[in-house]
Amino acid sequence: MSTDFKPYQRADDFGTPVSASNREVKLTVDGEEVTVAEGTSVLRAAAVAGINIPKLCATDSLAAFGSCRLCLVEIEGAKGLPASCTTEVRDGMKVRTQSPRLADIRRNVMELYISDHPLDCLTCPTNGDCELQDMAGAVGLREVRYGYDGANHFDAEKDKSNPYFTFDPTKCIVCSRCVRACEDVQGTYALTIDGRGFASKVAASQDQPFLDSECVSCGACVQACPTATLTENTLIEKGTPEHYVITTCAYCGVGCSFRAEMKGQEVVKMMPNKDGHANHGHSCVKGRFAFGYATHKDRIKTPMIRETIHEPWCEVTWDEAFTFAARKLRGIQEKYGRDAIGGITSSRCTNEETYLVQKLVRAAFGNNNVDTCARVCHSPTGYGLKATLGESAGTQNFDSVMKADVIVVMGANPTDAHPVFASQMKRRLREGAKLIVIDPRAIDLVRSAHVEADYHLPLKPGTNVAIINAISHVVVAEGLEAKEFIEQRCDLDAYEDWRKFILDERNSPEAIEEETGVPAETVRAAARLYASVPNGAIYYGLGVSEHSQGSTTVMGIANLAMATGNLGREGVGVNPLRGQNNVQGSCDMGSFPHELPGYRHVSDPKVREMFDKEWGVEIGADPGLRIPNMFDAAVAGEFKGLYVQGEDVAQSDPDTQHVTHALSSLECMIVQDLFLNETAKFAHVFFPGSSFLEKNGTFTNAERRISPVRKVMEPLAGLEDWQATQGLANALGYPMNYSHPREIMDEIARLTPTFTGVSYAKLDELGSIQWPCNDKAQAGTPTMHVEEFVRGKGLFRVTPYVPTDERTSRKYPLLLTTGRILSQYNVGAQTRRTENLKWHDEDVLEIHPHDAEQRGIEAGDWVGLQSRAGETVLRAVITERVTPGVVYTTFHHPESGANVVTTDNSDWATNCPEYKVTAVQAHKVTKMSEWQRNFEEFTEEQIDLLRRARTGAEQTVD
Amino acid sequence: MNVNKLIRMANQIAANFEYGADQAKATASVADHLRRFWTPEMRAEIIEYVDGGGTGLNPIAALAVAKLAEETPRAFRAT
Repeated sequence: MSTDFKPYQRADDFGTPVSASNREVKLTVDGEEVTVAEGTSVLRAAAVAGINIPKLCATDSLAAFGSCRLCLVEIEGAKGLPASCTTEVRDGMKVRTQSPRLADIRRNVMELYISDHPLDCLTCPTNGDCELQDMAGAVGLREVRYGYDGANHFDAEKDKSNPYFTFDPTKCIVCSRCVRACEDVQGTYALTIDGRGFASKVAASQDQPFLDSECVSCGACVQACPTATLTENTLIEKGTPEHYVITTCAYCGVGCSFRAEMKGQEVVKMMPNKDGHANHGHSCVKGRFAFGYATHKDRIKTPMIRETIHEPWCEVTWDEAFTFAARKLRGIQEKYGRDAIGGITSSRCTNEETYLVQKLVRAAFGNNNVDTCARVCHSPTGYGLKATLGESAGTQNFDSVMKADVIVVMGANPTDAHPVFASQMKRRLREGAKLIVIDPRAIDLVRSAHVEADYHLPLKPGTNVAIINAISHVVVAEGLEAKEFIEQRCDLDAYEDWRKFILDERNSPEAIEEETGVPAETVRAAARLYASVPNGAIYYGLGVSEHSQGSTTVMGIANLAMATGNLGREGVGVNPLRGQNNVQGSCDMGSFPHELPGYRHVSDPKVREMFDKEWGVEIGADPGLRIPNMFDAAVAGEFKGLYVQGEDVAQSDPDTQHVTHALSSLECMIVQDLFLNETAKFAHVFFPGSSFLEKNGTFTNAERRISPVRKVMEPLAGLEDWQATQGLANALGYPMNYSHPREIMDEIARLTPTFTGVSYAKLDELGSIQWPCNDKAQAGTPTMHVEEFVRGKGLFRVTPYVPTDERTSRKYPLLLTTGRILSQYNVGAQTRRTENLKWHDEDVLEIHPHDAEQRGIEAGDWVGLQSRAGETVLRAVITERVTPGVVYTTFHHPESGANVVTTDNSDWATNCPEYKVTAVQAHKVTKMSEWQRNFEEFTEEQIDLLRRARTGAEQTVD
Repeated sequence: MNVNKLIRMANQIAANFEYGADQAKATASVADHLRRFWTPEMRAEIIEYVDGGGTGLNPIAALAVAKLAEETPRAFRAT
């Protein structure tokens, strides 16, 4: 058995949270001397000493509640029997956890609990893994004198509405752990204790079924429940796990650590890891529950090839697939030139896989035509932060938010896209931090349970630069800059140039008011608030980067943070919230066509020399094609071969018809994926991919945190993804002979100064590592730019507002902006193959009541959405979340065609598409668009070609 | 590649570099950006286009392309 496999046992629970105090307190518990931090509970101190005081309502993810009365103790000199969970330690305290008196009380308490609890332990889903059962044993309960005929809750009905967990109120002991988890851990406040006394019961929202309530299905309540009241359906179906493996979630840039709790090769539960540095034991609906896609029937498990995209697939061996693909690619290069092929790496794949694909392109293809899907999301972050601060990465760890006094959220929707971090952020907001939201939509953070933005700046899409400049204008014009910080830490010539620029009246809130739609006084007030507190932290997302001036906004944000001295310590910073799990990593690994691993430009001869020597090739000094350039070159007939690992460009990239035209122009496309995704329908070679459960590697989250991904089951198609890339390299005549991804990481560490100290052994030891990790920072770097910026002096960059070409007109009077929702992930290839469809089974168009009325559109109507790029049809949802003139949709379902409408407009510096601004018209229609009809026809053809391949293989076997 | 897209991209780059900078500095910045992020083929195509009398570039973008043309030996420009 692998050393990664641990025998299953419930995670240690110290009863109450750890204290952050640095002061130590000494006490004795049952004669054992124990030293703990001031503020620690007696319950926790005892647990630290290895003494387990019985408890039910206490758990270390929640503040002490003191309701169950099981954890009572005797304290020398104290009156009565205090609850150890709510009693803090004191120096010299002498605690006794066991005595005849305590035993009697605890037994009586348990007796009362059990008198209203079904005694079906042997058939109960949590049999053997139930805290109530454990406590009955711990207190020596042998009889229930009250009998079971009195008033009870045995007939209460189960709520099975949630697809992932069952609520069985007959098992509830009303300890409130679920309610408190919903409040304190998740911050949704969907659960409550309804009624009083014996009638008290847990209720979701207004006593509704869970699925219909405000519950976001994060599972914190299920995790907190000490009985079988809230239980994962997979546990009910499969029984208790027998081992677990620590691994990292493959959804979103938070990068939650999980215990994959297993039975053989089957996942029973994904349990958030309490020791996880990014998530501290919390999760969202995707990470905890939506893992069923990994074993979905649509998984393709055999390599396939075909000569043209209109013929059936032919199932082949891996070697045959490698040989076929290599022959095709080399043939293209002979005919059209070395640069006629390229590759796309994925932010959904591991660092090692991504590194290997870019190495394959550079060393075996012999060019720099490699790009990553980060091109279409956060490439402006790479450009903008490198240009100003000197490193293409966020500056903080997530925990830093707990020291922020003002939180600015710009163009991000954390409660939907980064839910676990959003919960942490909301906790800080409940503690009193102020909130500024800059977003065209009234996202949930603007106003939700116990959270309300101090200022919401509902700017018109496309005016980010104007707004961020105006905020900086106020800071400088009103003398709110951090002068000392600027003088010591920043390039003063550049600062003076910027200062002059930013003070220009054209950047004042009043001057941009009409353009942005945000009242000048609101901008001024928000700027004053951000600049007036000790710690101001900015968090931003794709609403910043996916614009024609995405890079400029990123630089504008960095300017603002430097001007106010909000960099280089905890509680501050510039924090890009990365969309997918390994966006940061895929960028770090040299996936961009102009950069080798560690963000070093290919034109640098010293850097190239290192790689040339290690790889035994000569790397080109000029940048290669970026993804949009690849498509343009393909349409022009200059680019003919493409290897796409783990991406679905036909659905995720803008201007779908242009993308599919490009893909149709290729003579060989290799797609490596779990499913026959939209892109694979245009492919000639299919390499069946391995899910995150089937391979080893690492992901790097939005905090620069490298976390281990560990194989918990064998790859369904026989190979881990990196092995397939290696097979292709060998077939191309470029030898790769790694036996494990740890060897790939060792190579990355040899070649990349920010990764010098990273190894699998260190990851095993530390759990995770934030790069840079090298001789200067052996355990990694939680906060960057502490003494000085990576580039030395911080560089203010002049950021003129250049309005996008994508403007409204009489023909296209509305602005479309696109985004994501909680239950679905990116193109939905994974989440559409889970029960998450219960929450979102189609993409809809959000439209303001005013715009809807003008067009005679009513809720639920089909609406034709037309731009200069194309037309699609979506169902209307009428809502004031969008402002008049703005419509919004998501792109999780391919048939929705959101990207048929988005255009080829892109960021000036990086070509990151302008997904967030498309001029459109909306009108009521009765039938699908022409694109949708063609899509349906093409999909049917491709599914048939896949089915025929499978049938053919079965016949061969027969 | 579609030269109109290259023109649009070059103009966008110029628009973002020209504010407040003198002509020489803005031109150098644009040329540097094209060097660092465009493939040699993309640069060659826009040079060829301008050499052939093509229009549509804004003044700074045109100067930057001219600068690239100067430093790119004609023999290496062919696409």
